[in-house]
Amino acid sequence: MTGVAGILDGVRFERARSLDEAVSRVGALVSSGEPFHVLAGGTDLVVESHLAPPSPVARPGRTILDISSVPELSKIEDRGDRIRFGGGVTYLTLRREPWASRIPLLARMARDVGAIQIQARGTLAGNIATASPAADGVCGLFPLDTLVGLRSASGERAVPLTEYFTGYKKTQRRPDELIAWVDVRVPARDAKWAWRKVGTRLAQAISKVALAAVIEIDKGIIQYARFGMASVAPVTVSLPSVRALLEGRGVDVDLAALDAAVDRDVAPIDDVRSTGDYRRHVARAVVRELTRSLTT
Amino acid sequence: MIGQNVPRTDGVPKVIGTARYIDDVPPLPGELWGVTVRSPVARGVLQRIELDPSFDWTDVTVVTADDMDDEHNVVALIEYDQPVLAKKQLRHMYEPIALIACADRDKAERARAAVKLHIDKQEPVLSIEDSLAAKHVVWGEDNVLKKYEIKQGDAEAAFQSCELVLTGTYRVHHQEQLYIEPQGVIARWFAGQDGQENLKILGSLQCPYYVHKALKKTFDLPDDRAHVEQTVTGGGFGGKEEYPSVVALHAALLAKKSGKPVRMIYGRKEDIEATTKRHPAICTVTIGCKNDGTFVAVKVDCLMDGGAYVTLTPVVLSRGALHACGAYRFQHHHVLAKALATSTPPNGAFRGFGAPQTIWAIERHVDAVARALGRDPHDLRDQNLFNEGDTTCTGQVLSVSVGGRACLDAATKAVDWKARRANIDRFNEKLARDGKRVRRGIGISTFMHGAGFTGSGERRLKGKVAVDLTPGGRLNIRSASTDIGQGTETVFRQIAASVSGVPFEHIDLEVPNTTKVPDSGPTVASRTVMVVGSIVGKAALEVAERVRAEMKDSGGTFAEAGDRLLKRVGGTVSSLQQYEPPVTRQFDEATYTGDAYPCFSWACDVAEVEVDLDTYETRVLKLWSASDVGRVINPILCAGQVEGGTLQAIGWALYEDVVWRPDGSIANARMTNYIVPTAVDAPPFETILVEIPFPAGPGGAKGVGELPMDGGAPAIASAVEHALSHELKWQGSLLPDLPLLPEKIFNRVRQLES
Repeated sequence: MTGVAGILDGVRFERARSLDEAVSRVGALVSSGEPFHVLAGGTDLVVESHLAPPSPVARPGRTILDISSVPELSKIEDRGDRIRFGGGVTYLTLRREPWASRIPLLARMARDVGAIQIQARGTLAGNIATASPAADGVCGLFPLDTLVGLRSASGERAVPLTEYFTGYKKTQRRPDELIAWVDVRVPARDAKWAWRKVGTRLAQAISKVALAAVIEIDKGIIQYARFGMASVAPVTVSLPSVRALLEGRGVDVDLAALDAAVDRDVAPIDDVRSTGDYRRHVARAVVRELTRSLTT
Repeated sequence: MIGQNVPRTDGVPKVIGTARYIDDVPPLPGELWGVTVRSPVARGVLQRIELDPSFDWTDVTVVTADDMDDEHNVVALIEYDQPVLAKKQLRHMYEPIALIACADRDKAERARAAVKLHIDKQEPVLSIEDSLAAKHVVWGEDNVLKKYEIKQGDAEAAFQSCELVLTGTYRVHHQEQLYIEPQGVIARWFAGQDGQENLKILGSLQCPYYVHKALKKTFDLPDDRAHVEQTVTGGGFGGKEEYPSVVALHAALLAKKSGKPVRMIYGRKEDIEATTKRHPAICTVTIGCKNDGTFVAVKVDCLMDGGAYVTLTPVVLSRGALHACGAYRFQHHHVLAKALATSTPPNGAFRGFGAPQTIWAIERHVDAVARALGRDPHDLRDQNLFNEGDTTCTGQVLSVSVGGRACLDAATKAVDWKARRANIDRFNEKLARDGKRVRRGIGISTFMHGAGFTGSGERRLKGKVAVDLTPGGRLNIRSASTDIGQGTETVFRQIAASVSGVPFEHIDLEVPNTTKVPDSGPTVASRTVMVVGSIVGKAALEVAERVRAEMKDSGGTFAEAGDRLLKRVGGTVSSLQQYEPPVTRQFDEATYTGDAYPCFSWACDVAEVEVDLDTYETRVLKLWSASDVGRVINPILCAGQVEGGTLQAIGWALYEDVVWRPDGSIANARMTNYIVPTAVDAPPFETILVEIPFPAGPGGAKGVGELPMDGGAPAIASAVEHALSHELKWQGSLLPDLPLLPEKIFNRVRQLES
């Protein structure tokens, strides 16, 4: 297939029809050294390709490998206490039944991703692959004990999402690997969960700070407290100090200790969307608000 | 017809996609794609332009300042200080230096990167304060682009005897117009029948005759050899008032040198970076009043940032100065207004044109005075608002279509101000008791906006419109007023139909093209309906009367009589009308006294907001706007103007911010980072159209275009202060500066708490 006139002249398009075909093609492209991009929902790739003409993406001689029609990637397997979403599952799918009631946190988060058009195209794997610390999708998966399934021609491995990101837009994924699936833990039926996105506006917004949380309480003791927080560090953070402070304790939390824990877990910066000071303040405030809601 | 919700005539083609914007115009044979090489520094001296010798330039056209002599290297507007292409001195980031055209768009982009600029950098002047201090002189002798003084009475002396004298300083920031369709033109040179060269520009633009003037100057063309035609235009808001001249000149230079048509359409990033924005301003306001709240004297010291060249700044500053005392009765006025040059892209026309900047300051300050007096901000406005017979800062006696009080009353009633404010106070107490982290607030602004050009502007301009009789008893309106989304096409037909009695469906509108339509003046200044519309009606009536005379003499239907008349006179039955402004007291431009505008449009905005005490995010829950724009031609279109303009004001207040880097470049030149409100952020609007007719307007209409931009921001700020007043105590103004970004409110609160 030839490029779209004027925008993608000279770019080679290929469409993979199966996961095996996709990973073998990726492997071949990597070993040949040819520049290529993987296209899933396109909500990053298409946007980035318009950024700075001459576009870094749309250069003649490049290959765009379209994996949006790979059937395995849109599969969802419900295994009771865990669900395995194909990497190509979209945010719109997460908003729909039965997934919306199985994991309401993901459904609620998905509502805040871009707007309906982005939700219909954007995929879980795409958000993970782009590895932006502002990604709502990544943040929403963090509290769910999520495993990322990485597939290459030579096999498959699972990496915990909280360990997946190694630095700003750096991950454990090798160039010859595709994100085949994400495997998430279904929270207990009576689990408390929270999604709080503080964005630049109510839709089509990138998070200044976002908080995802799942908290399970048994007999007044917090048994499970997991978090994701976006846009407060070079990578999405899991707030380990906050988790350590809460797990195994009662719901009456010392707010000063909580603030201190948040401070240890975040390293926000000034950028075009907000300031480090504001982000730190908001990070504390949304975590405080969350713990307040546990007692009511 | 007038007062009816006729569906807009441009609606269907826009909805089904057949309307042709500039990018939809099919390529002309041999057409090239043009791009601009821009300054990478905010200030510097260009030593040399080097074309990378390893690049293949054979099919690339390059234009620099060396392709013109200095006399022609100007963008003709008010002053001739802005070059089409910078030659030596670079005065702002993104200033055009060279132009490139190539049939291959991708190659044109690569060629742009292959132009090496050798520049000696200089330290830029990036703020009003630095320009005022003349840190470096970047324009003229003292960086002052223009200044005005308006004086009635003796404000300084009057302050001595006032019981309260309060001063405050208020700042507003840049705003990008962010029309949906970026700037774009196609330029083509062709030989006329006499063999002489003609230039045709097709483009997305507001003012065909502004482009016409610029082309004539740079290319030494007589009137009839420069042809400027508007394509369907996807928004302007002032952003396509003066800037399209620059794009047209660039494309025309490339087309001339290459001998081929050139298409030049900006990408969003380039459009945000290089084109005009709203002028930032710093206004210091002093109000002197009695303890009972009666306003006595006002002084406003207004500084505006004009950017690197004069462009339209003198006119923007003038309108800002004329609106600086607000919609209130004072005995003494003193306004000092000064525009300063900086090393940023020239600021320009933007809906409101200087007035939103000064109205922000006066409205915020009226709130501060209310606070100092312990008065409700609504009541203090009610007490001091202009009535018919009152006198403005220029000595203009308000005698016709004075709707301020009617607007305030209508809004007060719709909102049920006193009860609502009391309810909100009680609700906030409950929220506090329940440990909730949000508070609500309600705020108000009252304001007016001069309709049409200032002073004797319309008299000088002599705007013209022609209406022709065409076969089948149809009328064809020829006007240079452009429809850029506001509905001109539809309301002009309504006016013509209403005044002439010819059915709406039988009225056509010529595409604005300088070869075919007379100069109606620019599509600006809330003047299209009130000024141009009034002569559309006159011209249509005159033609219809001639046809009716023919019917009376020789019978037949209107269509038959029209055709007969056309045949008899040999093809043209036409009326050319020139605008005659209503007789008012002469405006003296030397002293800024007299009638500044034939009339004003009036409004009262009320905003109800919810503020998050943790994140300082503000949501507008509801916005009431009672507007007097005279008789309304088309209520749905008019309400659309009010709501759209108010939403733009909400954007300016709460979301929009041009983020400048220390080197004078823009960090957020993308729609993902330059934040305008989405439909989800838009509150429910309650728009009340208060119709106080203006006898000289068509059917009694005044102007609506700019008014709604003026009052939204101060009403919201007033509401946010009300919401936070339950938690915080402060003196003067809590929120004197725009934008009301959460980060800024957070900083302000932290500053108060420490």
